[in-house]
Formats: sequence, structure tokens, C-alpha cells
Amino acid sequence: MKAELTPNKRSVRSFLEGRKAQKIKMLVLGQHMNDGWLAKIFIYYLLSIVAFLYLQPFFYMITTMLKDLTDLLDPTVKWIPRSIDWSNLERAFKGLKYPESLLNTTTIALFGSLIQVLVCGMTGYALARLKFPGKSIFFGLVFLTFLIPPQIIIIPLYVIFSKLGWLNTPFVFLIPALFGQGLKSALFIIIFRQFFRSLPKALEEAALIDGATVIRMFFRIIMPLSLPACLVVFLFSFVWYWNEFYLTSFFLINDFTPLSIRLGSLETVIYGPNPVAEAKALNPVTEGTKMAGAFLIVFPPLLLYMVAQRWFVEGIERTGVVD
Amino acid sequence: MNPVIQSNESRPESNEKSELRSRKRAKFLFRWNEYGMGYLFMLPWIIGFLVFMAFPICWSLYLTFNKVRFTGEGFKYEWIGLQNYRDALLKDNEYGVQIIAFFQQMILILPIIIIFALLVAILLNQNFPGRFIYRAIFFLPVIFSTGQVLTELFQQGAGDVPFISQYGIDTFVEENFSSSLAEPIISLLSMIIIILWSSGVQILIFIAGFQTVSRTIYEAVRIDGASPWESFWKITLPSIVPFIALNLLYTTVDLFTSPINPVMEQIRKHMFNVSTGYGYASALAWFYFLLIIVIIALMLWFLNSSNRKRRYTA
Repeated sequence: MKAELTPNKRSVRSFLEGRKAQKIKMLVLGQHMNDGWLAKIFIYYLLSIVAFLYLQPFFYMITTMLKDLTDLLDPTVKWIPRSIDWSNLERAFKGLKYPESLLNTTTIALFGSLIQVLVCGMTGYALARLKFPGKSIFFGLVFLTFLIPPQIIIIPLYVIFSKLGWLNTPFVFLIPALFGQGLKSALFIIIFRQFFRSLPKALEEAALIDGATVIRMFFRIIMPLSLPACLVVFLFSFVWYWNEFYLTSFFLINDFTPLSIRLGSLETVIYGPNPVAEAKALNPVTEGTKMAGAFLIVFPPLLLYMVAQRWFVEGIERTGVVD
Repeated sequence: MNPVIQSNESRPESNEKSELRSRKRAKFLFRWNEYGMGYLFMLPWIIGFLVFMAFPICWSLYLTFNKVRFTGEGFKYEWIGLQNYRDALLKDNEYGVQIIAFFQQMILILPIIIIFALLVAILLNQNFPGRFIYRAIFFLPVIFSTGQVLTELFQQGAGDVPFISQYGIDTFVEENFSSSLAEPIISLLSMIIIILWSSGVQILIFIAGFQTVSRTIYEAVRIDGASPWESFWKITLPSIVPFIALNLLYTTVDLFTSPINPVMEQIRKHMFNVSTGYGYASALAWFYFLLIIVIIALMLWFLNSSNRKRRYTA
């Protein structure tokens, strides 16, 4: 027995010290523990769990939307509905007056964010590169506007807008954006400023020596070079305008109503006033329709994000939102 | 500049004074030309700031010292000095409690978001195939983590994690902490996903932060025999301290202005309350704002000093 074991042991040891075993070890554990299979499987595992938790409300939205009434009332049906029911989606589509309000929301989001890219770009450029007295004070003010809670200024703004007759028109969002006071404009100005500061100065100097004016240089050289930053700002701004609810609920209640307002009143539009709505109680009957409405709202920016996400994430890394 | 100086030297001395003056004027004109460009680029923002920011802010500050009534013809003011603030801090039995509750929540939420974002960012920063898909997933919430959709999901309790009640975590918390501490923790657990959802931007900031640490440092440390674990604590973490501070700052601002924040709701409620009125609501908002400013100032100081330290050691 003993005689048999020793050569076996020896062969195991020689195998372990051999090249093949080393290779396998390299594959599984990697050179530094964090680049082998084991680490990769671990990363996939962890990320998948967190990603699932992360996406859970989204899954909830989709499954609830597809449930019919019996499934909604049945607590044993949790994730997978027994039968797929499209009537929720239809009802929400009608209740939101989807085509019309989609157009309204798109108008605000698209034009608002295009204007913001331009104006915040200009302001950011002035703060990053141009010389003028009081620059640091202006930058401080920009930062301050980022911190101001909207509640402080909402009533004065309401009065101003109503005097100008802008209420219930897209101007309430587009005109402030034109003057650099759109949604989170301060953040975008700061993003642009950081990005412009990372561009090489030699380019601008060369353009100036060649006789370009600052304005020409800005539109011909600087803006085209900062496409990643523009994209990031555009997408952020688009999504934030798209989802904006607080200001909208003051300024755009009649006539020109965007999706977010319609979602808020969807339940009453379809099912009539809910006697328990005041207590924010859950009504399982209307839940499916509300989720369908939410899905209809989220869907267009989701599509946009799917198309643009690659540049988006890269762009953020390159803009140095950071620094 | 140079040719001017040279020509100046070659001229007789009597002309020097007028020459100097015209040179000064030219310099002045040149400089103001440049400044003018700066102001031109800033002009839209300056107008917007004055009309849509500064004016409303001053107006609402004025309102806080008044009792405001909204009548058919417009606002009716009645000067009452600091009464609104006194009422808010001493009389109002909801406002103070909610501010304290909010701070309690914030102290708990801040580290959750920062640590979660840091962990996810570390994982996403590893080199593995398909990380683009994961990055896309973790940034997805930014799309709908704002506005009405979020509120809707929040009301439905979709932000709950199933295993919290399954594994009895909530009862564990209740048994092991005092009731004043257990309550905010449980309310946090019930909306943990919604909280984690607001860390999309933070994850990206961290990922971008990792990119600023140069690879050569890691290589050098590896050759010296450090494990990845050590190199994380000794290299990565110290060099992203500014980004942690930045994330703290961003998260604080985000939480302060988030729509599900109880203080915001309180302000909104008083805005349309006839007996207290908009003046009182403004006072609440202003006091809240001043608190933010103090906290942000402290954080900026931290950010600055950590930056300075980093430069010093580098």
C-alpha cells in the first residue's frame, strides 16, 4: 500500500509543479487574484444580483401593466401574469391622450435641451477661458443657483409668468432656458466649464492668431470639439425636462399639458375621483393602468438611451464631470 | 507688445509721456475688448439670473417678513418682521421635527449611496467582457429616477427588497436598536432600491475618478509585491478622496431638492394654506436653504483641504 502511494503522491506533486497546473492556476486565479476566472465569475455574480435588484421596480412596472383584473387582485400572482392583457396599455394610451401630450413633452424636452446645450456651452466657455473682471463671483453665483430649492422662487415666478401671459405655453421652460436658467442649468454650465478647461489652449491661440474672432472660434472649433460634452448635457437635460413634474404642476395645468401631468391625473380621468385617493391608499384595480401610463412615459427616453448609451457613458468619462 | 517697446526707445524723450499714455489707452482698449467678449458670452446668463433668479429670490425674501394673503386683486402684504421665522422654529410642531428627521435620514442615506456607488464602480471598473451592458444597466435609473414615474413606483411600494422581510431583517433592527433609531432605519429599508437608484451619477463620477489614477503606479506597486487588496487601500482610495467629497456634495444637493423629501412637502402644503400663507412657506424654505448653505460650505471646505493635501503629497 505504502509503496503504491508514494509514486502517486510524487506524481501529484510533480503535476502540481508542472507547467500545465500552473497554467490552470493562472486561468482560475489569475496573476493577481483579480484577473482570473474566479474573480470574473464573482464579479458577474455580484453585479447580476445588484442589477436585478436595481431593475426590479422596472420589472414590476412591466408585469403589473400586463396583468388583467383577476391577476391584479390575486396576491399569489406576483411576477408572471397568468394571461397577458393589453387593455391596461390601451386605456392608459387613451387616458394620457398619448399622441398629443407626447408631442407637448417632446417639444419642451427637445427644444429646451437644445437651447440649454448652446447657452450653457457659451456660459461655460466664458467661465473657463475668457478673461473678464468678476469671473469668480459669477462662477460662485452659478454654483449658488444650483443649490436654491425651487420652492423659494416658484410663486414669484408664477406671478411673473402670468403677467407675461406665458402660463400654459412651452415658453415657461424655453425662455428661462434661453437665458441660462433652465432645469439644472448650473450643473450643465459647470460640466461645460470643466470640459473646456481640459481642451488644449494651443488650438484657440492658433485660431486667434489666424484672425478668427472669439465667436467664430467658439462655434467653429470649440463646440465641434466638445461633442461628447454636448451629448452628455443634451441627454441629461432631455431626460430631466421629460420627467419634470414639480414646476410643470404649477405652470402647465391646462391646454398645453405634458405627459407627467397627465399621469398624475390618469386615475381620476379613467376611473373617476377615488374616494380614498386622499389617503394615498393603493387601489389595486387602477394599479395596472397607472403602471402602463408610467411605462408609456418612460419608453421614449428609454429608446433614446439605448441608442445613445455607448457614447453617453464614454462621454461622461471624457467630460470629466469630475475634476 | 515687443515692437511697441522697441519703437518707444528709439524716439526722443519729449514724446515719451504722450507715447506712454496712448500705449496705456491701447492696452486699456485691448483689454476691454477682451472683457467685452467675456461679458457678451455671459450676457444671456446674466439677464436670466437677474430676471428669473435674483428678482424672485429677493421678492420671496421680502415675503418671509410679511404675512401674505392672496386676494382677487393680487397679494396683500402685512409687515410682521421676523414673526414667520419665530413661528417656524418655536411654534410649528411639525417643521422642526421633520427637519431633524430629514437630517437623520440624510446621515444614513449619504454613506449608503456613497459606499454602494463606490463598490459598484470598483466592480464595473474591472476588465471583463460585457461590462458595457452592466454600465448601461446601472445608469438606467437616471432616466426614470426623477419625477412622477418615481413617485408612482414609490407609492406602490415597488422600492421594497423582498429579502428584508423574508430574512427578518426588520425585526432584527427593531430588537437591536432603540425605537427612535429603528424607525428611520426601517423606513430606509423599505425604499432602499429607490435610494440606490439615485446613485447612477455617483457611480459614473467614481468610474471617471478611477481613470485619473495612472496605471504606472499600479504596475510599480505590483512589482513591489502588493496585492490588489493592498493597492486598493494604499493607492486607489487615497487618490479618489476628492471624488468622494464631490459625490458627497452632489448627493447632498440631490437629496435636499428631491421631491420625496418630507420638508419639501411641508413647504408645499403651507404654500396653499390660507391661515399660514405663502409668506410663512417662504420662511420655511429660506431657513431650510440657509441650513443647506452651511452644510455645503463645510463640505466645500473639506473638498478644498483634501485637494490641497493631495497636491501636497503628490
